[in-house]
Amino acid sequence: MNEYCIRKATVDDIPFLTEVVIAASKSNSDKLSLSALFNLPENRIREIIGSMFSEEIDGCEFSISSFLITEHRGKPVAAVGGWVEGLVQKTSSSILKSNLITYCFPKESIAFVLSISAIISDILIERDNLSLQIEYVYVDKDHRGKRLAEGLIRQHIKNAQLAYPGLEKAQVQLFSNNSPAIRSYEKIGFHVGKVYKSSNPKILDYFSHDEALLMEIDIALESPQQCRIMRAKGSNHGKNRNSGKN
Amino acid sequence: MERTEIAERIRTIISLVVKHDNFEMTDELTANDVAGWDSLSHVGIIVGIEAAFNIKFKLKDLNGMNTMGNIIELIRSKIE
Repeated sequence: MNEYCIRKATVDDIPFLTEVVIAASKSNSDKLSLSALFNLPENRIREIIGSMFSEEIDGCEFSISSFLITEHRGKPVAAVGGWVEGLVQKTSSSILKSNLITYCFPKESIAFVLSISAIISDILIERDNLSLQIEYVYVDKDHRGKRLAEGLIRQHIKNAQLAYPGLEKAQVQLFSNNSPAIRSYEKIGFHVGKVYKSSNPKILDYFSHDEALLMEIDIALESPQQCRIMRAKGSNHGKNRNSGKN
Repeated sequence: MERTEIAERIRTIISLVVKHDNFEMTDELTANDVAGWDSLSHVGIIVGIEAAFNIKFKLKDLNGMNTMGNIIELIRSKIE
């Protein structure tokens, strides 16, 4: 029997989602870039991430509604964020995220991140409008090797196609030294679309690596008939709990 | 404060942050219309506006500021 099931995140998941963001941001390193970028200790960053989720703003990486969670025996063990850029809100996710940051972070931290903007801007990647954005992929270490992240990403793709049948591609941003994650995305069908390299050595004071990748996958539905089928399925969307067997 | 004066102050702030003034201050202007108005510069623009007008935006204010017309009207409502 499959002991894993996928569900949407709720407000009760905020503590788990906060740990997901912290773990995924470290990207297999000890460096928490959010801590370095805002000049705050990890425990304070943790509090602020929780408060950003608590605002319940849809359509960005700090939105509860962006996350799917895999449960094992009633306990969350994996999560992946994903949203169709610019679909729910007409504002881009980067602006929504910036609004949350401006509102939730202390003034001194905002002043600090603005003071280093010239250093970090080279590897900040803007997101393509009306594409599925995948962000913050996390699987508990006791549940790795079971393709839970892949199952969540595939479920995000299905959900996004239901919500927006005109969807053409999914994108994910990651550092080029994160080889295990790159291989996992390649197995699903993602390929490297663009490479963003910083020539400023100080970038490593704030991020674990100086080169970011934009990986993409074509997920356009092949025919108008498929679009109609997805729209029809969309009327039942959200009523079923989905298996994370992929 | 006159609407045109508010608009001019905002224009100055945006120009300082994005380092150019190659945009027209219409009520329909959005972040997408201004080269360099990205996630980081958005933070700088918001902080600059709050300081210039001595106001503090609520989160719902920020998320409602989709066009320049909205931004100007919101500032007018806060300083009057």
